[in-house]
Amino acid sequence: MKLIFKITLLYLLISLVVFLIGGLITHQIIMREVVFEEQRFLKERLDFAIRMIERRKLHKPFERDKIKIIPLGTRAKETEIAFSDTVVMHSTLQRMEPHNKLDVVKKVGDQYYKVTLYDLIVEEDDVAEGVNEALIKVYLLLLVVVLILSWVASVFLLKPFNFTLEHIKNFSLRKNDHIKYKKSSTREFDKLNKFVEEMTEKIQTDYQSLKEFTENASHEMQTPLSIANGKLELLMESDNLTDEQVALIVSAQGSVQRLSRMGKALSLLTKIENKEFESTEEIDLNKLLSKLLFDFKELAGLKSIKIETEIQENVKVKIDNTLAAIMVTNLIQNAIRHNYEEGWVKVVLSAKSLSISNTGAALKSDPGLLFERFRKDNQSKESIGLGLSIVKKICEVSSFDITYQHQDESHKIEIIF
Amino acid sequence: MKLLLVEDHAELASNIISYLAKAGYVCEWCNNYQNAINKLSGFEYDIIMLDLMLPDGDGLDILKFVKQQSADTGVLILSAKNALDDKIKGLDLGADDYLPKPFHLSELNARLKAIYRRRHLGGAHDIIFNEISLNTDTMEVKVNDEYLDLTRKEYEMLLYMIVNKSRLLTKQSIAEHLWGDYMDSVDSFDFVYQHIKNLRKKIVQAGGRDYIQTMYGSGYKFNPNI
Repeated sequence: MKLIFKITLLYLLISLVVFLIGGLITHQIIMREVVFEEQRFLKERLDFAIRMIERRKLHKPFERDKIKIIPLGTRAKETEIAFSDTVVMHSTLQRMEPHNKLDVVKKVGDQYYKVTLYDLIVEEDDVAEGVNEALIKVYLLLLVVVLILSWVASVFLLKPFNFTLEHIKNFSLRKNDHIKYKKSSTREFDKLNKFVEEMTEKIQTDYQSLKEFTENASHEMQTPLSIANGKLELLMESDNLTDEQVALIVSAQGSVQRLSRMGKALSLLTKIENKEFESTEEIDLNKLLSKLLFDFKELAGLKSIKIETEIQENVKVKIDNTLAAIMVTNLIQNAIRHNYEEGWVKVVLSAKSLSISNTGAALKSDPGLLFERFRKDNQSKESIGLGLSIVKKICEVSSFDITYQHQDESHKIEIIF
Repeated sequence: MKLLLVEDHAELASNIISYLAKAGYVCEWCNNYQNAINKLSGFEYDIIMLDLMLPDGDGLDILKFVKQQSADTGVLILSAKNALDDKIKGLDLGADDYLPKPFHLSELNARLKAIYRRRHLGGAHDIIFNEISLNTDTMEVKVNDEYLDLTRKEYEMLLYMIVNKSRLLTKQSIAEHLWGDYMDSVDSFDFVYQHIKNLRKKIVQAGGRDYIQTMYGSGYKFNPNI
């Protein structure tokens, strides 16, 4: 739910409670005023009645609508004015209606009189009804106003916020620019914009330096490795080496070279991840595949591996040229390396997919982890365990799907374009 | 053969210089762009080994300078910048070859000799070693004037070994020379062994001597003194 509607709902809920309490208070105040006014009115009429008694020198009881005067003679006692509720026949309505009643005994001249006055009461129900109606109408008005206000707010007040949000959504590390600060007259949004600018700037520089670090690290690594390798070669040239010494040198050289290859592979992975191979052109995959298969023919032959091919002509795929070569090379390499003597490799290329199957020992580890970095099924000395991760990365950046299936001793990797 | 090495890294340079000195080359060294330009203005070299990343300039500019000064000078680019772009740019500007770091010194030797042959000996040239002669143009090999039927890889291996004769060549260096980029994929040592075995057999069958020695189980040596 939108924030503005949440606030609106909450506001309406709270104002409902306020209106309920307010209704009760209003009702009470109105009732108090009404009662006060009614009593004042009765007291005024009492004054008229007394003046009338003085004027007429009343001796017998007098009764009219809403007034009753009874002479009590000369011996009686004055009383305070007393109000009470009663039910009296209403003359025009011709039914019993609740009335206010005033009772008093007053001395006018020598005589004492008992005066009783009635007045039609304003009923509490009617007041409550009135209050309810008024409040409900006001509440409805408030509802409409608040809804309009929230719409206005979401369109105008929240505009800078939505603008910033849109920018954050479109923010990408690879685009290499941060979100520019945009002044807003709302202090909170202004703060947010400033913060977003600072944050994205920081992320951008951090990412940049991390990227440079990984690239530089694997690059800078090559020089010392090159030196070490050269020294070992020079050492090997020296005379009178024993068998053990040569074996040690060769083994050290092997490790140095493995490290160097690993550095290169990691830097390639980083480069692919950093989308440095952006040029997506249409390439003839069948041509590339045929060329690489030719290159590998000899290697396969040395292991007596039979390569079967089913290559469709004119398969055009959108992928960077270099990446395509690396991907296909890695796949064929894998199929040959993890194969048996006199095994087979089958390469099938269609317009929709490329699949490479080969014979080879069943996987000992989880097939789901096949594409993970440094995941090696057999700790083969030559392998550095990055080949398939590179293939997977290439598929990711080229938006291909890659699947692995296996059945006993045959393995199949399929790339779906 | 007179060489100039342009390489800012002293350690790396000293490796190369000592190795090449043993092979009997005169190799001069400068460690930055300015020195390289100075040397090139004053002296003639057969081949320049050029690192592209220099502290005070771009190696590619040196390459342009060399090509203006003396077209006969061969250029071998040595670079850790294993970017395809650099390679293409370098070769476009007239470099003879491109060797990415790290490399085997025996590989460097083989590349230098190949450039030298192409530039100074008119390309089509026979490398003759006793009874074995290789034609680097047609890739034909003769033993005692009899053609030897070698595969491409066997030919390359023989050439590599003759160029680096009397040196211990590890299986790794041979594999890398033969297969380059694909090398890490294969169980290359077995392949090297098989190729060597076939090569020896073919040479011996044609009446040649068995110059190739297995050394310590770690590599091979083309021994001319057998």
